[in-house]
Amino acid sequence: MSPSTGTSSSSLSTLWQKLGSLRFTLLLFFILTFGCVLGTLFPQGVGERQLLSQFSPSTVKWITTLQLHDLYHSLWFQALLGLLSLNLIVCTLQRLPKTVALLQHREEFLDPRKLSKFSLSCTLRVPSGLPHARQAVEQVVRSKVGPLNQLHAPQDSFAFVVERGRWTRYMVYVVHLSVLIIFFGALLGSLFGFKGMMNVAEGETNNRVFLSRGHRQVVLPFQVRCDDFHVSYYDTGAPEEFRSDLVILEDGREVLRRSIRVNDPLTYKGVTFYQASYGAILKEAKVQFTDKESGETITLDLAFREPVPFADSGRMMELVDFAEDLSGFGKAVAVVTYREGEQPKGSWILVERPDFHGNRVDRYAVKVLDLNQAHYTGLQVKRDPGVVIVITGFILLLAGLLTTFYTQHRKIFIWAQATNPGTTLILAARSSKKSLAFEREFQHLCERIREHLTNPRKES
Amino acid sequence: MTSSQFLSFTTFAYLGASILYLAGVTFRTTKALRAASWVGLAAAVANGAGILLRWKESYDLGYGHAPLSNLYESLVFGAWCIMLIYLVLEKKTGHRSLGIVPSLIAFLAMAYASFSPDVSSKIQPLLPALKSNWLIAHVVTCFLGYAAFAISFGISGLYLWQRRKGLSGNPAGPLKLLPDVRELEEYNYQMILFGFLWLSVGIITGSVWANSAWGSYWSWDPKETWSLITWLIYAAVLHARAVRGWQGPRVAWLSMLGFCSVLFTYFGVNFLLSGLHSYATK
Ligand code: HEM
Repeated sequence: MSPSTGTSSSSLSTLWQKLGSLRFTLLLFFILTFGCVLGTLFPQGVGERQLLSQFSPSTVKWITTLQLHDLYHSLWFQALLGLLSLNLIVCTLQRLPKTVALLQHREEFLDPRKLSKFSLSCTLRVPSGLPHARQAVEQVVRSKVGPLNQLHAPQDSFAFVVERGRWTRYMVYVVHLSVLIIFFGALLGSLFGFKGMMNVAEGETNNRVFLSRGHRQVVLPFQVRCDDFHVSYYDTGAPEEFRSDLVILEDGREVLRRSIRVNDPLTYKGVTFYQASYGAILKEAKVQFTDKESGETITLDLAFREPVPFADSGRMMELVDFAEDLSGFGKAVAVVTYREGEQPKGSWILVERPDFHGNRVDRYAVKVLDLNQAHYTGLQVKRDPGVVIVITGFILLLAGLLTTFYTQHRKIFIWAQATNPGTTLILAARSSKKSLAFEREFQHLCERIREHLTNPRKES
Repeated sequence: MTSSQFLSFTTFAYLGASILYLAGVTFRTTKALRAASWVGLAAAVANGAGILLRWKESYDLGYGHAPLSNLYESLVFGAWCIMLIYLVLEKKTGHRSLGIVPSLIAFLAMAYASFSPDVSSKIQPLLPALKSNWLIAHVVTCFLGYAAFAISFGISGLYLWQRRKGLSGNPAGPLKLLPDVRELEEYNYQMILFGFLWLSVGIITGSVWANSAWGSYWSWDPKETWSLITWLIYAAVLHARAVRGWQGPRVAWLSMLGFCSVLFTYFGVNFLLSGLHSYATK
């Protein structure tokens, strides 16, 4: 092997070690934390124009270069999540084999000198003989910890191992696996799902969803009709409930009929519809036009955005817009009039202030006599094939956390030798949690055994 | 009696308990510490009674919802969680001196809820978006986490203090009644585990709820993001313990930083950033 390949393979292996190291994890945690903080300081999901109204052009340049206005979807943030996953996978590959080896190792016999060097160990010299000591140990340990496993030992001595909760060593891998599963589910959702908005007017049908990202549209393979939209209020005037009565149609046939509310969505063929917003629209208005010069009056029924001929003048009238509340003046309709080869003229007409002098179009004073309004319901529409996986990850995460935190792998070693007169016992213990509680438990166990063997009244 | 009478008693009892805890530690009298525990327990009982009564009162008003829906109610509930968890810790460890910070934080939460002009104690109807059983699961679990972190904040402080005294000579003075450094570290770790578990449950219930109500289990709303920040900081604490050179004081500082992040998640986001979780806007 040439020296150069030697160094490169060793630098590769240090890279591998670094990739799986906990220091790298901490570094990633800190950068991610910092990134998340930045994301809450800058407005997210806004366009460049909006940014320019808040920040100076040079700041905006920085923001857009670093994608701080869409940070959580930016390449660098996603790369960090990718690195965290890589870190986790490499770490698992490095440690899992060691854990498996550790747990498969079973002692054949015990070495008392090693036992007394454990950080948790105690040596008892008791007056009882070996058989009695053995009986006491078995009795106390079985009731306090669990069944004992006897090992080979020479004459005049005995050795036991008690082990509990071996499986709990694997639970931290379950926690880490669950994090990877959640990331994977999120990735699936972002690759194969969509999320957007859809407005459906009462009585109308729609199947187009405007996606929240990327100015695109999705056409659903079925239709959604809204039969009714309803809001109710508390006495205080605060809204109590929003409800839409929806019907799903396939090839014009009704296949499902259900009401949705906030917190109570409808799912059909993997697509979920959530009650998100609502608004009012205009269907039709009865409008009166008075010619300022001749005083002549004409009344028209104008359907929304459908031009209507204005008597025989060769002129068209059209309702082009509607506002629920125009700058605090209440409802308003926008009326436009035009004739072949002429610039259209139009104006907002205030419905609730018929005497307003600006209620005029061309040379006509305009008055709205009647409005035929309807609601539309704003549905958030989503398909996310990753949700099931993410939720599985959540459940695993919680199960894993609960077990890693509150269970432990404990192993207690007991060795005894007849030292006529009496017996010498060495107890030693190890646990996956180096906790004070376990230390106390162990001391308590030693104490109980000592009591049992030195207090003759307890012999029975 | 009305819920507000119970709750004003609670506020003063928490103040009393924290003064007694402090006095007990400073003057090294176990008597004051024992009294502190009893006053603290009485305050927690009154706090719980106040919450239950308020729940009933909301039904009498015709709104009928668990008292967890606005800033006032969540502060009151938060104070209760801190004290309950602390009292269990005290019972298990037998160290009453740990109570200084938790009782003080419980008092501050109650005092802020009762006296701040920003916080309305009126019982209000629930917004449609909050009408769900998930609300209870989400708020209760988050607050158990926050409360454990508040206690861990206190223990970290005591740890750093005790350690400094320990390094500069023998721990004399008021610190005699405090647990030793090793014990403090262990209790701190226990609280962080407890908090991390409940914060995880809180984030997950919030996420599952958001998925069922708004169709997105994660939308990077500022409150969500800040709870993730808190979670990441405590995840860092858990891992830092396993890295050589990162144990001891660094873990304590990091856990105190984590609690600052809790406070920001709770107050900062409400008052400074906008988002879905806007309970403090009125
Ligand atoms: C968001 C991601 C992560 C979560 C939620 C997480 C969670 C946990 C938890 C709960 C523990 C148990 C801690 C304890 O019992 O004190 C743990 C331990 C551990 N984690 Fe992670 N972890 C994450 C990422 C990682 C990564 C990326 C690595 C890569 C090196 C890693 C390596 C370890 C190791 C080596 C331990 C055992 C520490 C010990 O021996 O005490 N973790 N993790």
